[in-house]
Amino acid sequence: MPTVILLDVSLSMTSPVQLKDGTETTRKHLAEIGINAFLDHLSVQSKLEFISLMAFSSLYEERCPFTRDYAAIKAELKNIDDYDKTCIETALHGVNQMVLGEWGNNSACQIIMVTDGSTGVGPKSLKDSLASLNQRSSKSTFPVPFTFPGKLHIICITPSSDLNFTKSKPLYQRLIDLTGYDGSILVPENLQTETSVTNLFQKLAEDMYTTFKGVLKCGNLESKVILSPAPVPYTRVTDFECHTRSISDLIDVCGFVSVGDVGSPMAVGRHLVLPAPTLGPGRQEGAAKNDADAADEDVGDEGRTASFCVLLHGALRVENMAALVSLGENWFGFIYSWADSKKKSNLMLTILTPGSDAVPWLGDLNNLGSSESFSPDQVGSFPVKPSEKRSYSQNGVVWIRQAGLQSDIQKILRHARKLPEKTQQFYKELNRLRKAAISLGFLDLLNGLAYIFDQECMQLPGSAHPDCALQLQHAAEVLRKTQNRDIKYVVVPLQTNYTNS
Amino acid sequence: MSFSLTNTMYPANHKTVFVLDHTPYFGISCENPIEFEFLKSRTPGFIPMNPISKSLWTSSVESAIEYCRIVWDLFPTGKLVRFIASDTVAHILNTWSPLQQNLTHIMNGMSLIGIPPPPVPLRSVGTPQDHTVLHGLRAAIEAISEPTDLQEKLKSSLDGQKILNKCRVICITSARDNDSMKRLEDIFLTVLNQQNKASATSDKSLSIDHCHLVIINTFPISIDSQVNNHPPKVLSPILTTEVHSIKAPHIPNKFSSIILDHYDLASTTVTGIPMKEEQNASSSANYDVEIFHVSSAHTAMLKGNASDSAAIRTIKDGLEYETTTLKWCTPRGVMGSELQNCTCMHRITPVDVNSRPSLCLINFLLNGRSVMLEMPRKAGGKITSHLLAAHGGEIFIHTLCTARSVLEDPPSISEGCGGRVTDYRIPDFGLLIKQNTLVPIKLKGNEDGGQPIQKMKTRLNRLTRYWPMTISSTLIFNLKNYFDPLPTLISKEKITDDETFQCKKVIYNLISLESKMEPLHPPNTGQRVKGQKREEQYKAMWNELETLIKNNLHSENHRGVYGCLLECHKFNFDEDKLGDKVELDDALNQLDNIGPGKNDQDVPRASVIRATTDSPMSPPPLASIAPPLSRAGLNRSGGIYHAQRTLLEIFASHEKGKSRPEFAGRQGDSLVWKLYPNLKTNDHGPREGMEVE
Repeated sequence: MPTVILLDVSLSMTSPVQLKDGTETTRKHLAEIGINAFLDHLSVQSKLEFISLMAFSSLYEERCPFTRDYAAIKAELKNIDDYDKTCIETALHGVNQMVLGEWGNNSACQIIMVTDGSTGVGPKSLKDSLASLNQRSSKSTFPVPFTFPGKLHIICITPSSDLNFTKSKPLYQRLIDLTGYDGSILVPENLQTETSVTNLFQKLAEDMYTTFKGVLKCGNLESKVILSPAPVPYTRVTDFECHTRSISDLIDVCGFVSVGDVGSPMAVGRHLVLPAPTLGPGRQEGAAKNDADAADEDVGDEGRTASFCVLLHGALRVENMAALVSLGENWFGFIYSWADSKKKSNLMLTILTPGSDAVPWLGDLNNLGSSESFSPDQVGSFPVKPSEKRSYSQNGVVWIRQAGLQSDIQKILRHARKLPEKTQQFYKELNRLRKAAISLGFLDLLNGLAYIFDQECMQLPGSAHPDCALQLQHAAEVLRKTQNRDIKYVVVPLQTNYTNS
Repeated sequence: MSFSLTNTMYPANHKTVFVLDHTPYFGISCENPIEFEFLKSRTPGFIPMNPISKSLWTSSVESAIEYCRIVWDLFPTGKLVRFIASDTVAHILNTWSPLQQNLTHIMNGMSLIGIPPPPVPLRSVGTPQDHTVLHGLRAAIEAISEPTDLQEKLKSSLDGQKILNKCRVICITSARDNDSMKRLEDIFLTVLNQQNKASATSDKSLSIDHCHLVIINTFPISIDSQVNNHPPKVLSPILTTEVHSIKAPHIPNKFSSIILDHYDLASTTVTGIPMKEEQNASSSANYDVEIFHVSSAHTAMLKGNASDSAAIRTIKDGLEYETTTLKWCTPRGVMGSELQNCTCMHRITPVDVNSRPSLCLINFLLNGRSVMLEMPRKAGGKITSHLLAAHGGEIFIHTLCTARSVLEDPPSISEGCGGRVTDYRIPDFGLLIKQNTLVPIKLKGNEDGGQPIQKMKTRLNRLTRYWPMTISSTLIFNLKNYFDPLPTLISKEKITDDETFQCKKVIYNLISLESKMEPLHPPNTGQRVKGQKREEQYKAMWNELETLIKNNLHSENHRGVYGCLLECHKFNFDEDKLGDKVELDDALNQLDNIGPGKNDQDVPRASVIRATTDSPMSPPPLASIAPPLSRAGLNRSGGIYHAQRTLLEIFASHEKGKSRPEFAGRQGDSLVWKLYPNLKTNDHGPREGMEVE
């Protein structure tokens, strides 16, 4: 997952550090060495990770956009000047903006803040920021929790006994708690050797980039898989509950749904499902020790051993179907064939929001089954419709804008001119309007409409059907009768000789 | 825990009460006559009609109902609204019950209440009746101390842990001046405190942790009100009030802006919708439609790039809120055939539900088509940021991921494990997928046997008991012409006698083919399966068939088919074993099959025969021997054919274990017996081990 290295370049970072071997260096220089060690680790272990570099003091500056070119970051590290005081809040705003702009609000990212244990002074110091958390308006929100799933690690290049650090530690912890993810606060064991700093960064790199290993299973067919990027715990906040959950390592296929029926539901994560090498532990160790040739050979072997992932992918693509998988207690996802712009096809897992109600139009996901296992009267079809129609498909009455009322009346008059053919429609629309007027207490409208009908009657051309006048007069009469002002009353057409003929 | 959570959890919008003033004053007209354009163009001699104008009551009812229309369109559950009309008493129109949370119920209730009562004559006889909105406010406070279904459920599930009862009361009334408005607020606070005291001793009602009182002071268009607006003011830790003084016809506009705050909504204007002109059907003009939805649909887009987002946000004319303008993008080709990368999804509702452009857009979507929305970029070009689509009669806005993907440049699946295998049985698996397509199931009241989705997993388990993944690893699935319908029937949970007969017929047919020395041809080719002699082919076929049937002993009839196979074809497994070159994988597979619970179905072939031929006193074959620990890890990777054991199988295997004969040393008179008699022999295989008398 993408990582932002957030480097403190305030003046306090320039304070001197006496190393064991007698040489003097600065905190900033140690930080630089540490970051280099971190990047070196990545370039061996996780070459595909995106890293960016941001420097901050009272302001912040993006020094390197997200890149896989770690050398560029290393080069940039050398060119960073020293600035004024530490201001963490501003920097975190910057992080929010940079990550949102690049990855959106759905990709998990990590932030490594490299600082020295001083949290700034005065307004906008971390202490001040945290103290004023509850007095913020919607215009000046605090940047944490991040607008994306963000984990915060804070590395302090300072002796762990430093008084500043002791004071800052609870503030840092508070900040990490606010993110909602389990970040960490790290201090070098001793500040007197460079190795202690590099070890710290390397250890962090190892911990940060763990791979997710699980099993994809469909009945008795299964395959070990790796998810890339590794899924992060998801915190779901509803009106009354707040849960953080991680997916289980068993991805169990429950059945299949056509891609069209799935629609495009909201995903909390998208991950490539890659078949994992199935070598025994003994062989794997051997392979690691062997030279490159042997390793290549192994890869070749793996390629030729049938994998359920590949079979599933092929069949899903041909059938244009997606597999519904369970990812834990009452948590589901979809696996389907996905191709990037270069037409490289892959198996993709979309993780839905936890809960069996994640996709409204599929109904309760726990209640999906095969039509063969149930009696025909129990079997429904997609999409599942809600029990109530929404207002826009109900043909309701809204007269908030005058145009709404005018068009309703015009519709009735249009039908009136085409009587007797439109008798049904005329009375249907009339009753709809009447009912609404009574509910809204808009009785003047009924009298007004009766008047309009009278006028309409007088204006009828000679060629008009005699029924026209009779029905209009009848309707006007009924509208005027106060005893009929009950929504249960229905105006019915007048029976005329003409209607019967 | 964190501040953001306390902000978003326990929102006030879970419970809203509308208190509508139904006193005689609200019977007066707004004095905002409705224009009837179509009457103006009439011939002379037309007698102009008396102007029609809504009353204050009609204005307030329709505004409140419009507010609810938006809420219930966007949040079908969990956001509850109650209505109370107040004159001499409080008229309660609905409860918190979800059944009464719909427009039809409210509209029907309104028609029963009717128009406000006529004013009481000045010199009326008897005690004047007390017409006031206070009755309604009191009833509202009682209403919000009643728990909703959801609160009730949480209260019992959290046992002891407190849930916050927050709410909002929106009161539409008319006050004389600021003082009387102030009195109204003070009385409300007093009643609120009284109610909380009462709730403290009551088990049924919830104390109110916070109430947001919104007072709309309204009056006809021709009047100037003496009441001033005031922004939200904290009257007490449990009460915040605000007052808006508005002319009656403008209440809906005010509501459209406050509802955005109340429910954290945002407005989007879809621009450039091509629509046929009503008058002139050959030409089309572009229209705009405004929709409301939860504001997070815009989060990524608006926060991501400040300068781009500033360009598309504008204040609505004559209103107080911002709308984000996105361009309609005429859909090309068939949409919905692929899964979009959707990061956020919310219901929408049109702001002007009955206007012609709105109806046009709505019907377009409800008919199953979807629309992409585009956002222009300052840097040039545009980006597809949203998708509007209807699912099951509800319209949703899907926020698409516009950001860079962390999955840039992924490897293709063909480059990974198993990627170089070219003979996967893809069409056959496609068939399995089609047979296991999910459909929604309507559960009957007394449904047993768990959720349909669990049944589905059991079903998939059954159907894949023996399922070779590649063409080269199977023979019988390539020779469908000889085996159908046996593979399909045998994996069924139950088979009828007729189906049993069909399966047996397949076996008989194969026997007769073998006796006629006919080679087995795959369908559509005259070729014999390459590289195999007929005898070998038959042997492999019988062995595979035996594995298939043995793995599918789901019922007595299944066992009948298996019995038939054993009777018809003489399996000489020992010879197999010796004759074949035992490859490592095969050997591992065999070992996998030895172990508790693999009885009946999974015991390797050899032992099955032995079990039927051995004397009753011989030790049970293999079933009760645990696999050597060192090999446990291999079980999983060993093969795809091995069934996951069901609980029943584990149980059965334990039962079987118990019937194991007594240890030989304890059977005879002598209590001495040599332990591990075959420890020094080369063959450590447990199967052979068991053959020691």
